[in-house]
Amino acid sequence: MTSGPYNYSYIFKYIIIGDMGVGKSCLLHQFTEKKFMADCPHTIGVEFGTRIIEVSGQKIKLQIWDTAGQERFRAVTRSYYRGAAGALMVYDITRRSTYNHLSSWLTDARNLTNPNTVIFLIGNKSDLEAQRDVTYEEAKQFAEENGLLFLEASAKTGEHVEEAFLDTARKIYQNILDGSLDLNAAETGVQHKPSAPDSNQANLEPGGGKDSCSC
Amino acid sequence: MTEKEISVQGSSEGSTTSNPLSRKLNKILETRLENDKETLEALKALSTFFHENSLRTRRNLRGDIERRSLSISEEFADVFSIVKNAARDQTADLINKTTDLQKESQKLDMRAKVADAFLAKYQLKTEEVRVLRGTREGHLHEDFFQALNRVKQIHNDCKVLLRTNQQTAGLEIMESMALHQETAYERLYRWTQGECRSLTSDTVDVTSIHCRAMEALQDRPVLFRYVLDEFGTARRTAVVRGFIDALTRGGPGGTPRPIELHSHDPLRYVGDMLAWLHQASASEKEHLISLLRMATAQRPVSESGPLDICNKYPSLQQDLRELVRVEQVIVAEPGPMVLYKLANLLKFYKYTIGQLLNKEAALTSTLSEMEEFAQKVFFNALNVLASKLVEKVELPPADLGPTATLSQTLSLLQEILASHDSSVVSMDLREQDFARILTSVLDPLMQMCSLSASRLNPADMATYMINCLHAMQTTLSLYEYTDQRLEMLQAQTDAHVDTLVNEQASFILSRTALLQIYSIALQHKPEEGPLASLTGLNTSAIKDGMTHFDGFLATPDNYTLPQCNFLQSTAIREKIHQRAMNLIQGAYELLYKAIHNPDNQYQEPNSIMVRTPEQVKTLLS
Repeated sequence: MTSGPYNYSYIFKYIIIGDMGVGKSCLLHQFTEKKFMADCPHTIGVEFGTRIIEVSGQKIKLQIWDTAGQERFRAVTRSYYRGAAGALMVYDITRRSTYNHLSSWLTDARNLTNPNTVIFLIGNKSDLEAQRDVTYEEAKQFAEENGLLFLEASAKTGEHVEEAFLDTARKIYQNILDGSLDLNAAETGVQHKPSAPDSNQANLEPGGGKDSCSC
Repeated sequence: MTEKEISVQGSSEGSTTSNPLSRKLNKILETRLENDKETLEALKALSTFFHENSLRTRRNLRGDIERRSLSISEEFADVFSIVKNAARDQTADLINKTTDLQKESQKLDMRAKVADAFLAKYQLKTEEVRVLRGTREGHLHEDFFQALNRVKQIHNDCKVLLRTNQQTAGLEIMESMALHQETAYERLYRWTQGECRSLTSDTVDVTSIHCRAMEALQDRPVLFRYVLDEFGTARRTAVVRGFIDALTRGGPGGTPRPIELHSHDPLRYVGDMLAWLHQASASEKEHLISLLRMATAQRPVSESGPLDICNKYPSLQQDLRELVRVEQVIVAEPGPMVLYKLANLLKFYKYTIGQLLNKEAALTSTLSEMEEFAQKVFFNALNVLASKLVEKVELPPADLGPTATLSQTLSLLQEILASHDSSVVSMDLREQDFARILTSVLDPLMQMCSLSASRLNPADMATYMINCLHAMQTTLSLYEYTDQRLEMLQAQTDAHVDTLVNEQASFILSRTALLQIYSIALQHKPEEGPLASLTGLNTSAIKDGMTHFDGFLATPDNYTLPQCNFLQSTAIREKIHQRAMNLIQGAYELLYKAIHNPDNQYQEPNSIMVRTPEQVKTLLS
């Protein structure tokens, strides 16, 4: 019996935000389908994708909400920050304006998510080195000042895409283990399956994690 | 003899064993014939036929004995052959019997094997029966489903039996299997129902056994549906609890803030609730897919696929309707603008959530209803506004410009259209709304303008209407899907422009005292005699008129109809001026030709009308 795709111990909710055309949907597509989607249409409102990953031997299902970058959807997409365990904030390294808007995105993310939400800054289109408009160092510094994880990635080549999504999950999982993310609270963006049905060994660890949470 | 004995004894001391003769002798000597039974017996037998001990008889003894032996043997053979025959007769029967029995035994062996195979195929093992029956509250395991499959298999195989002459067996087995099945399904149903009932936590812990259970229950559609209902009820509890948490508790430590805190901001409030529902729907759909992942593999998705999700959550809608206070927000009448945005927001979510769920899903239809309701209230608000326009008609202001009401209404319309532009709703959906909004607002506006213009003189009315229409056109021209409306407005404007052109031309002609002359000349027919003879058309009257006309040619601006100066659109003002001048020039040309026509008997026509029509045209253009 194949129960692979249904066998996971946690669900983490992500949200992807950032200006129009920075490649949010392409990053998601690259992550879930491992393919680059050329001619990606504008996202209407919000869409979502899922993928199961493994962090420290734990199967985790990522439920990723991809928001529209267009200003007219801003009011709608704001409602989706609620209950995100991870927020991927994307800018385009070849367009400075998308980088300049980061502080406004960050304000939204901070105000509308819970305090434990892991925010990951992604400088997309790293394959277009010749057209670079924002230096790595500059963005790195911005990320450090604001306590964000940071990577430059390319939805086209797939470079660092996997890492960005996985590092976010690792950080969230770390927060669960050290107890800073309380699974009993509502709207943490993390759902935990009390017992993974088909893998006993996977059961051991989250049990320990849970104990440390509940105290 | 003695010597011999001695010598034998003497020699026996040395070679007793080595001398066969002495050995033989010894043996004979030692023989005690009276003790030798065989010899005695032989002698006894010999004495029965050896009566005469003579040399001859002794010589023949061997032959006699042999003959005797032969005859005895023959006699024995004769007797034995009789026995043999008798024995053969007797054993043949036995052998036949044995062979028969052996065959029988083989047959029975075969039967036993067949019967065993039959039983193996058509009967449950005791172990399986035990697993199927189980204890009343027992947990289900993999072996239960294997046994259940066996029962099903046997039940099916019986159909083969029914086609042979083993119908009785077939029917009986089917009956007993059906009984097993019923018991098993009953147990399966109770168990699954109980399991589903407990799936009320945020995350559904769907195990592979749950999936097997759902797969097996597919054969009992009624039970299948009951179990799904139970699942739906459980999930409803979970979703409602989560929703209430989001509404009232928010995230850990109150961040993100509870949705209720935004209830003063209708759009945010409704938007947050609907976004939450969208996300919950996505998660619940996944739960259902995961529960039915094996069940759906065997039947078309449309039949009982996950798309049915919301139909499986029948009572969820009731709660949501009570919880989602969209209707209350709408009823609170937050003004047409907010209502409109709300309707669009609902339309957006109807579309977005509709992509996730199927068309018949209760949530989608609830959203549809809410959206229609918001639309209805929005258009009601517009209609109320519109009827107020018509009820309280203002008089046109002194400058004949659009009234304040018109401007306010237009700016509301503009706001609506602008929000439409930035709306989250797709293009084609927008177009439908447009026509309706325009009708609801523009028609009463037109009516209001016509009403307030009704008591004005033609020039005032035309000017006022042109100004109002122009304001509407300006507003609409910025937006899509207004072409038809703009065309209608343009046609109405054109009619009023015509009026104003005529008014302007008559105004000039009457100010230059040429109006009467012109109209008589225009209607003059040759039978009425020469023009010069008609009253008011004598040379001096025309000359007098021409003097005034020269004054007009010198300063045409002084002869502009006052209303034309109130026209807000310069383009229209220009257009009217130009067309009026063309009319004047036409009138002049007509007069000029009439005066120069010898039939009309004017003396020195060149002194009466000094300028040629071409000169006038140049001056006026």
